[in-house]
Amino acid sequence: MSSHARQLCSTWLQRLEPRTNKMELYHMELKKGMMLKLKGKINDDASWFAINLGSGPQDLALHFNPRFEENIIVCNSQNGGSWEKEHRDGHVCFKPGTEIKLTVTFEEDEFQVKLPDGHQVKFPNRRGQGHLPYCCVKGGISLTSFKVE
Amino acid sequence: MANEMIATNLDLQPGVCIKIVGDVPPDAKCFRVNLGKDEHNFALHFNPRFNACDDTNTIICNSKQEGSWGTEQRETNFPFLPGSRVEVCMTFEGNQFTVRLPDDSQISFPNRLNLETINFLQVGGDFKLKTVDFE
Repeated sequence: MSSHARQLCSTWLQRLEPRTNKMELYHMELKKGMMLKLKGKINDDASWFAINLGSGPQDLALHFNPRFEENIIVCNSQNGGSWEKEHRDGHVCFKPGTEIKLTVTFEEDEFQVKLPDGHQVKFPNRRGQGHLPYCCVKGGISLTSFKVE
Repeated sequence: MANEMIATNLDLQPGVCIKIVGDVPPDAKCFRVNLGKDEHNFALHFNPRFNACDDTNTIICNSKQEGSWGTEQRETNFPFLPGSRVEVCMTFEGNQFTVRLPDDSQISFPNRLNLETINFLQVGGDFKLKTVDFE
């Protein structure tokens, strides 16, 4: 394929595929009792985004995953790369093209994700971890603010 | 332990200010903030050195293009203290970057790579990241 054709092809692919962002943070100081505050704009063409917290990319204590096509928020955990039992919450009070603020509170035995309308999605801290050094925010969301408190 | 944060596909346009807040540990040697296209192309490498690479209390700025470093720009004003909270604001002004330091002084660095958008942000070294804001 000529380089011009290849470039055309890749431009075309970029148009077909929704833009996905990714932010990864290692060695984060997120401990029990602390909060993670996120602000961002959900991309117009977003079909999903996810917030992952854990000890590493394959060991997640919380996977928080709103899916706009199914109109559901899926939460799960991952142990050594294997997904565990899903929790599903149908309270999707935000949509693509809007700005949102989410607060994740890391309590003794569970995570509480506060949505823009005040609804809380709760998910158990299944392995009782006290320190989560890894965070990843990815998918159709452009972060404008990230805070660990 | 050293922090490492990498954000990609940011699509930041000229005019944006990237505010970074974090804690520098008492035994800090250096930390760095890289802005650019990807891990091989930094329009701005901002590297305060408390005590690293034979430098004491010096800020090094540089660029990296396809993995090759450019010419270092060295700043002797060093308003950072180990064991303190630090805030730096980096503004992407199109043809250059300005960095506002904790004493409110500024340094500028040219956009040598002529990037039109910033897609990559990396914060690493002796810096416990607390906040990142894109304003």
